[in-house]
Amino acid sequence: MVGANDNEEFVQEFLVESTENLDQLDRDLIALEQAPGDEERLASIFRTVHTIKGNSGFFGFSKLGALTHSGEHLLGRLRDGKLLLDDRVTGSLYSMVDAVRAILRTIETTGSEGDHDFRDLAQRLTAVAAGDAVEPAAPAAAGIPAASPAEPVATQAPAPTVAAEPAVPSVPVASAPETVPAPGEASTVEKAAGSDRTLSESSIRVDVGLVGSILDLVGELVLARNQLRSIETADPAVLAAAHRINAVTNALQETAVKTRLQPIEHVFNKFPRTVRDLAVSCGKEVQLSIDGGDTELDRTLIESIRDPLTHLVRNAVDHGIEPPDERAIRGKPRVGRLALRAFNESGQVTIEVEDDGGGIAVSAVRDKAIAKGLVTAEKAASLSDERILQFIFEPGFSTAAKVTSVSGRGVGMDVVKTNIEAIGGTVDIHSRPGLGTTVRVRVPLTLAIMPALIVRSASERLAIPQAAVRELVPLRGDRGGPRGWPQIEGLDDAPVIRLRGRLLPVVFLDEFLGLRGRTACRDEGTVVIVRVDDHEFGIVIDNVRHGEPGGAGVGESASLSTVVVKPIGSLLSQVGLYAGATVLGDGGVVLILDLRGILRATELPAGREADGAAPTATASDADRYLVCRTRQGRRIALPLERITRLEHVTAADVQPLGDRQVVRRGEGFTSVVDADHLLGGEGGACAESVKLVVLGGPEGSIAVSVGQILDVLAAESPLQAVEATTGVAGLLALGGLATEVLDVSRGQPW
Amino acid sequence: MVSRVPSFEACSFRAGAHCFAVDSGCVAEVLHSATLTPVPLAPEAVAGLLHLRGRIVPVIDLRRRLSLDSTEQEASQTNLVVRLGDDWYSLLVDEVLDVQAIPLERIERTTTGAVSATTDAVTGVYVAETRLIHILDPERLVQSLLKQRTTPFVRHGVSHGG
Repeated sequence: MVGANDNEEFVQEFLVESTENLDQLDRDLIALEQAPGDEERLASIFRTVHTIKGNSGFFGFSKLGALTHSGEHLLGRLRDGKLLLDDRVTGSLYSMVDAVRAILRTIETTGSEGDHDFRDLAQRLTAVAAGDAVEPAAPAAAGIPAASPAEPVATQAPAPTVAAEPAVPSVPVASAPETVPAPGEASTVEKAAGSDRTLSESSIRVDVGLVGSILDLVGELVLARNQLRSIETADPAVLAAAHRINAVTNALQETAVKTRLQPIEHVFNKFPRTVRDLAVSCGKEVQLSIDGGDTELDRTLIESIRDPLTHLVRNAVDHGIEPPDERAIRGKPRVGRLALRAFNESGQVTIEVEDDGGGIAVSAVRDKAIAKGLVTAEKAASLSDERILQFIFEPGFSTAAKVTSVSGRGVGMDVVKTNIEAIGGTVDIHSRPGLGTTVRVRVPLTLAIMPALIVRSASERLAIPQAAVRELVPLRGDRGGPRGWPQIEGLDDAPVIRLRGRLLPVVFLDEFLGLRGRTACRDEGTVVIVRVDDHEFGIVIDNVRHGEPGGAGVGESASLSTVVVKPIGSLLSQVGLYAGATVLGDGGVVLILDLRGILRATELPAGREADGAAPTATASDADRYLVCRTRQGRRIALPLERITRLEHVTAADVQPLGDRQVVRRGEGFTSVVDADHLLGGEGGACAESVKLVVLGGPEGSIAVSVGQILDVLAAESPLQAVEATTGVAGLLALGGLATEVLDVSRGQPW
Repeated sequence: MVSRVPSFEACSFRAGAHCFAVDSGCVAEVLHSATLTPVPLAPEAVAGLLHLRGRIVPVIDLRRRLSLDSTEQEASQTNLVVRLGDDWYSLLVDEVLDVQAIPLERIERTTTGAVSATTDAVTGVYVAETRLIHILDPERLVQSLLKQRTTPFVRHGVSHGG
């Protein structure tokens, strides 16, 4: 006999399994609608319903049993060709699936089936089965009592079968004459039993917490293995055993991690039904295509993306895809297309929800953003369409003209974004008016384990998630690294490095974490270039672990490590800089940096990288500017594409040469002009140190001396001409401030 | 946390010059001199992280958290690991004393004195034969740290121009 506790466990299992079966049922029903003659599909549906019925009998869920019994009966009629599949039939079957789902939910929360007995629905199912029969019930079928003889075969249920229970008054057992012929029933049931067996033999259900503890234990084993390895011995037997333990431990860790992965199908599977129902209720026609359902994802993540994805799908059907008539007018196929795609991409999983609907009206978003006070009208006018679209992710933002019953309430895009970001993912949206919208969600494969770069800063070791790492760049250093290696430039509050023509802001990790103060030499070490969302920046570390300090190579491969991510608890998560911690092979605990948090905390200039994939430096630099303050305090901008270098020299390096000033650079000299002087003002007194922005041009280079280098920013407005102001090419909005652009065009008197 | 039976089994320990007790039921382990990994920019009372059989356990320095006077020069060395639901925390204390049953009726709710000022984590005091034992609720102790936000970040190095 099973104890009460065991029984509860079985019920849980039954609930989980049945819920999965229902998802399968939804898919099968939709497929059946499209291909009504598909007998195999019909048989599969029949089996599924039969299984649920059998199990509910076993657990004594009589209402569920009665309902599925009616459904099974209707399906039997269909299978035997006694009934044709039409809207009435599918409609009632969908209602049955919903009702079963509702009952399961009630069982899950209350432990019992609840008060609602779904008698009406059962009757409707029976009526549909009977009333719409294309021909009268075959006399041969008469006299066979409903399904009961077959029950025990399917489930080995010791409990009385559903049909025999007194608690099912709503099922007209009197309709027995119309039940399916016994031979057909029996064969289906055998099949059902067969397929069930294979399923249960090939997979087991395990509590996620248990898998977690296995992972922890494996981690412990790894540490013990390392201790074993550190024992010095010459005994070949011990060495061989240690070697073997090493290999097994590695394999074990890998396998243990895999147990947490599940195909994303678990989420995708319910969308055919969702889309169908939505399309029907919105009066739209939608063809859903699903790709990459076998892409695997950590189970906990699968749960976390379920709601956001559902919302995106609903949005696409409700707001994206136009009604058929409207589509026809626009020359599109009447049936809208909705594509769900999942694939692996650079260690992450990308999920795309793409529709071919009307797209998002950028002007509507802009108006709404202004109305909501998210942006001023002036600023909005200067923002690119791409930037405007991002307002969709602001809290409480919705562009739907009217609130429909489907979308327009509940979670909005802001919640989608928040939820996705909470699991370390990103969301971005692309829309072409009239052509459709694509929302791209990127999430890590798993939160439990990830490849990370172990770096050292001051005395500490820290881990940087490898997914964000673009490259490692050694700094040239004072003691003369190769000339091609970059140096830290922009010596003020906005240190940058120049990498292939682009200026990237950098953070000194030791300084930022307060591990040590600013070191005298800021050109030693390695810069880890990372990309978070649309921001690319550099993190200056001492040296990549195992790399030789100051050596020619950076030990890239040696410092990469697959780490098991462990939560650090809310107390330390609130610091906002750590995504977790991990235990390294030597037993040391290492914090994993949360790059998004660092980006937030350092307030590194944002939005400078509209598109990091820009193929050439020129393309990405075209509308970006170096913003400086002149010594007189004027805010000016210089086009980044003209800048070849930033330099920091002492006043002594600047030599007068006639009425000009020059600075010696390598073999030759470069003219130095004070920015204030260019603007028609007084060139300030020579300061101790001089900051030079070196511009290249067809006529050679020139250095503009400025007071302070502030930032590199993308233009937020087109260049606006100003009335003749000496040395000013025009006005630009940069970082939300009007900024004068220094005229560095050809023919300037320099 | 505390079962409302007439007495309560308490694990008592010393931090600085004061004695405390927590429900012994939530004590998972006592560790002497474990290696702590510091957490830069964490709340001041967080002494670091501890690795305990696959778990990462934040360590709270009780002396620092409660601003306790101490004649001891070096930092506390003993980790009293407590379990709070799914989370584990370690309290860094100076010495674990004993486990004893404290009659509930003898616990006075009035908390006065040096240790009550900074936190509501001390829920009562018990006057033992030789000493005064402060009853500490670890849950509240952690909560009080959660409320205490770290200071907003300032871009480092702003004042150091070149």
